[in-house]
Amino acid sequence: MAKDVGRVRLGLRKPLWQYYDALWGYLFIIPFLLVAGVFLLFPIAYSFYLSFRETWLYSNWFDQFADMRFVGFRNYVDLLHNPTFWYSLVATFIYALLLIPTQIAAALALALFLNTKLPGYRTLRSAFFLPHVFDVFVVGIIWLLLYNPQIGPFAEFFKWLGITWFKKHGFVDNPYTILPSIAFAMVLKGMGFGMILFLTALNNIPESIFEAAEIDGANARQKLVYVTLPLLRPMILFMSVTGLVGVLNAFSEFYAMTKATGGTAFQFFGTTVQAARVSGFYLYQLFYDAFYGHAAAMSFILLAIALGITWINFRVLGKES
Amino acid sequence: MPHHNFADKQLLVSVRSKSFPKWVRYAMCYAVLIPLLLLVHLPLLWMIVTAFKVPGYGTKLQFIPKAGEHMYTLENFRQVFFDKDFPFYRFAWNSFVVSTGCALVTVAICTLAGYAFAKKRFPGRELLFAALITIMLVPGIIFMVPQYRLVLKFGWINTYTAMILPHTANIFGLFLLRQHIRGLPDSLLEAARVDGASEIGTFLRIVVPLSVPVMITLFLLTFVGQWSNFLWQLIVNTPDSPYLTLPVGLSLFQGQWQTEWEKMMAGACFSILPIAVLFTVSQRFFIQGLTAGSVKE
Repeated sequence: MAKDVGRVRLGLRKPLWQYYDALWGYLFIIPFLLVAGVFLLFPIAYSFYLSFRETWLYSNWFDQFADMRFVGFRNYVDLLHNPTFWYSLVATFIYALLLIPTQIAAALALALFLNTKLPGYRTLRSAFFLPHVFDVFVVGIIWLLLYNPQIGPFAEFFKWLGITWFKKHGFVDNPYTILPSIAFAMVLKGMGFGMILFLTALNNIPESIFEAAEIDGANARQKLVYVTLPLLRPMILFMSVTGLVGVLNAFSEFYAMTKATGGTAFQFFGTTVQAARVSGFYLYQLFYDAFYGHAAAMSFILLAIALGITWINFRVLGKES
Repeated sequence: MPHHNFADKQLLVSVRSKSFPKWVRYAMCYAVLIPLLLLVHLPLLWMIVTAFKVPGYGTKLQFIPKAGEHMYTLENFRQVFFDKDFPFYRFAWNSFVVSTGCALVTVAICTLAGYAFAKKRFPGRELLFAALITIMLVPGIIFMVPQYRLVLKFGWINTYTAMILPHTANIFGLFLLRQHIRGLPDSLLEAARVDGASEIGTFLRIVVPLSVPVMITLFLLTFVGQWSNFLWQLIVNTPDSPYLTLPVGLSLFQGQWQTEWEKMMAGACFSILPIAVLFTVSQRFFIQGLTAGSVKE
């Protein structure tokens, strides 16, 4: 056959059409790969390179990036010696602890409530999901109004309960309640999304498992604890991991609800820090102040933390039982 | 999504009991869910009510006007829409262009690449795909500095290109399309080939028409995601840029007019309400897309 003759003459091991197929495969991925290569793959390498360099006093400020000096590990060392950096990690950790378990618990509770033929359940599901698609920054601005100590409804509500503390100190205007207040707003915004994920997972549990448990005499609560929750473990793992990456990325809600400042200042091991300067905000601040090398180093520390915690999560929650 | 509603008898933990008739159980559910729903939507409701208030009333916890009192107005919307320094019609248009542009490009390149990763055999396919999936674990904020440098280098500050292009290589979207196209029968593609269709013809006449629902899903997810993209649009635009989007415009407006809550809420409406409408008419696609990525087979 003509096709085979060509193959033999060219010394190829596969039929020609397979090379043709592969060629078209490459052609089809080129546009995606081009964008991904320039804006995702290259930046990771470039960022690593930048993390060993820094702008300096006599930098050419019209071309800062090209005029950065090699500084070795100094960016990393600087960060690790800086209490502001450590506070950003502490604040992120506190925020994650406040947000992620609450988010998951609230989403699960909602899913259990709405995994029924309750009249209007479809509408309720959509209604709970809706805030998830709203702009985080704009929602943050609205919460700023809701949390306003003078004119907002929440301070008024607590005053009505007899607690006047918030009237005086506000919710996001003091270092003590700022992180829980932001977490509360974000739980309300995101719980509907988690609910949808849990509903999907619940639908994938075969009914026979529940029947078996019923035959064994399990009551509703036992079925929840011993059957449903263990089967939802992969979903809980997924939500913790994505929630964690989300917290490391969190910026807009903090920018909005602290009016771009990062929150009220207070003393942390003898250094003044802003109460809500979580890692994402701190990274933005380094970038804003043109410490590009430090910002790149910070990026890699965050990446290491994200991968580390993802790994731990897989080890702890991902174990087959 | 198929709904096996076995849960009715199994999962309503403590509310479920033979001693309660059905309507009591439902009433108990509503007693929890309705107040919670109101709390979840408090920001939305508060925004709308405040946006309609006459300046000065936004700071009061009063909702029902006294006799003869002029308390609600459309004036705030008119003012922010045509504001000289903060033209929200401009911000809304920019948000629309950026979100639509980004969604179109994303869908196009993800469908092309998704088809190749699903149906074409080429050396390095699996490795490349695995590498791309791994990038999904990287917190997006670490791309900020190097991407900014690239945009600076290309001279793209204050352009739509800078606002659109860097976010179009959506790996989740690639994954979504690839999973879907993998499910299409090979025999269909073979048949097209036998009929003499070109590679591009096969793609356009077989793959694309059969992938439209997933493409719409990805379009909507990207659109909404970019509509809410704040940080990137903040850093690639200078404050005097003509291409500011709604959240960036609102943040500048906030810096200037911190106390004018009525106008700020009117500005917020321009961001929130279109998305609420879009979601309401197309929620099926949203939910299908968001669950597709997380369901373990």
